[in-house]
Amino acid sequence: MDVMDLKITAELAKLALTEEETAKLSEEVARMLEYFSSMSEVDVTHLEPTNYVLQKENRTRIDSEKNESDIPDKILGNAPRREDRFIVIPNVL
Amino acid sequence: MYQTFIGLEIHIHLITNSKVFCSCRNEFGAEPNTNICPVCMGYPGVLPSLNAEAVRKSYQVCMALDCTLNETAIFERKNYFYPDMPKNYQISQFAFPFGINGFFDIDLGGGTVKRIRIHDVHLEEDAGKMIHSGGVSFLDYNRAGTPLLEIVTEPDLASGEEAEIFLQQFRQMVRYLGVTDGNMEEGSMRCDANVSINEQGKGLGIKTEVKNLNSSRFVNKALEYEIKRHTKVISAGGTIIQETRLWDEDRNVTRSMRTKESSNDYRYFPEPDLPPYLPDKDFLQEVRESLVELPLARKGRFMSEYALSESSAAFVTGEKEIADFFEKMVQHGVAPQTAARWLSGDVQKQLNLSGESLKASALTPERLSRLLVMVEDGKISRDAAKKVLAAIFTENEEPEKLVKDLGLEQVSNKEDLEKVVSEIVNAHEKVAEAIRNGADKQIGFLMGQVMKATAGKANPKIAQQLIKNNIFKQG
Repeated sequence: MDVMDLKITAELAKLALTEEETAKLSEEVARMLEYFSSMSEVDVTHLEPTNYVLQKENRTRIDSEKNESDIPDKILGNAPRREDRFIVIPNVL
Repeated sequence: MYQTFIGLEIHIHLITNSKVFCSCRNEFGAEPNTNICPVCMGYPGVLPSLNAEAVRKSYQVCMALDCTLNETAIFERKNYFYPDMPKNYQISQFAFPFGINGFFDIDLGGGTVKRIRIHDVHLEEDAGKMIHSGGVSFLDYNRAGTPLLEIVTEPDLASGEEAEIFLQQFRQMVRYLGVTDGNMEEGSMRCDANVSINEQGKGLGIKTEVKNLNSSRFVNKALEYEIKRHTKVISAGGTIIQETRLWDEDRNVTRSMRTKESSNDYRYFPEPDLPPYLPDKDFLQEVRESLVELPLARKGRFMSEYALSESSAAFVTGEKEIADFFEKMVQHGVAPQTAARWLSGDVQKQLNLSGESLKASALTPERLSRLLVMVEDGKISRDAAKKVLAAIFTENEEPEKLVKDLGLEQVSNKEDLEKVVSEIVNAHEKVAEAIRNGADKQIGFLMGQVMKATAGKANPKIAQQLIKNNIFKQG
């Protein structure tokens, strides 16, 4: 795999790679990609893409609100830091 | 001379009871983090389920924009890391949205209509709200997962002014449909604009995108600023850098956001937790039948059917509730011009005073129609009708009762008026004599006396006729 492509992929996956790791992974990922590329050999010219295999009919929900009182508070309880009802995190701007 | 190309991405908040993929309440301005659940907070193992009403409203917009509807619409994950979305992806539509290849006609006035092509209409979920303060950011996820419909135009707009007109008329249209309240200040309608310029006939140039535009006026100003900036750069032989810029409304300039281009890859893939949506014939038929007459068509009809002027028709059809109100008044026998004049004049004045919407006010088409029919029939004067109108807003009473309570009924009864007239004429014999000798203008003096004697309630037409009869009969 091209080192630049690997670096971009790592960045998108939020992985911090050292130069050594990059060199090592570049080879390993190339082998993986080669393995997957065997799929390209299958002829799919006349096949529709299968987006979903279980569909029988449209699955929608009636637009009604459900107000389960203690769930929001329980979720807030999981936040490491809060102020009033806000969840507080380090500034990301 | 350069040619300008502007495209808009408009987001509208759909009016629903619940969020688009979970049952949390969809409301503006609630206490932070009260409308949240494991689904919209991205907990592991949860399943999104699609809100039928959000789908229905999406298709209404697609149809109003004459889109081609995909037989199969597919939800996809748009991946990005930012704390406004706890899942680290936004469920959206990408390759197969609900609607594609539509158009919206904008009315540039004086009978000029410009067709703007619509690239696509897709349904997605909104992100949460972040407040940045000092070293920390505050997160409120009430908005995360609320239904958002994105409408993308082709770059067919040629100026900031056209973009502003597009937004105003588009907002009017979606409010007619009742799918959104379209409030740009509250963020229930948002707009990003992209713009490029190029030499005539050379096609699109390199574009920049402008964000942070929370009124149609700012869209216009920001685009005009960008067009000038592009022109300056290109005229000097430079090239435009493709980038996202923010509108700074305090300084009236756009500023570069400096984003890393390499991370601008959303790696869309089909959402495995939501089946594709296949609109069936019955559903589409039902949605089509639910569509209302849209503003541009209604304006044209009001001009031809009711002979309203263009400006008058534009005012009356500006909001659906006013147009509906107007047509009810016409059904109740009010002349179209009279109805339009009152709605754009005194009614508007009263609404501004009370700060109410027409719908929430005490004024109904029936009440206003009966009031105006009284004017037409000479039962009350136009000035009296204005007083009654004001009283309807404050007292919430029927116009007939108010006319009585305020003592505004005109005296049209001939016998009563004759008595007053003959007393006045007898008391001013010299004036009567002068009128008999051709001093017509003096009739005004006698009219004034009659009005004074009746506290202004005499029907002026009848009173004048009676004065003349009286004077010339004696002569």
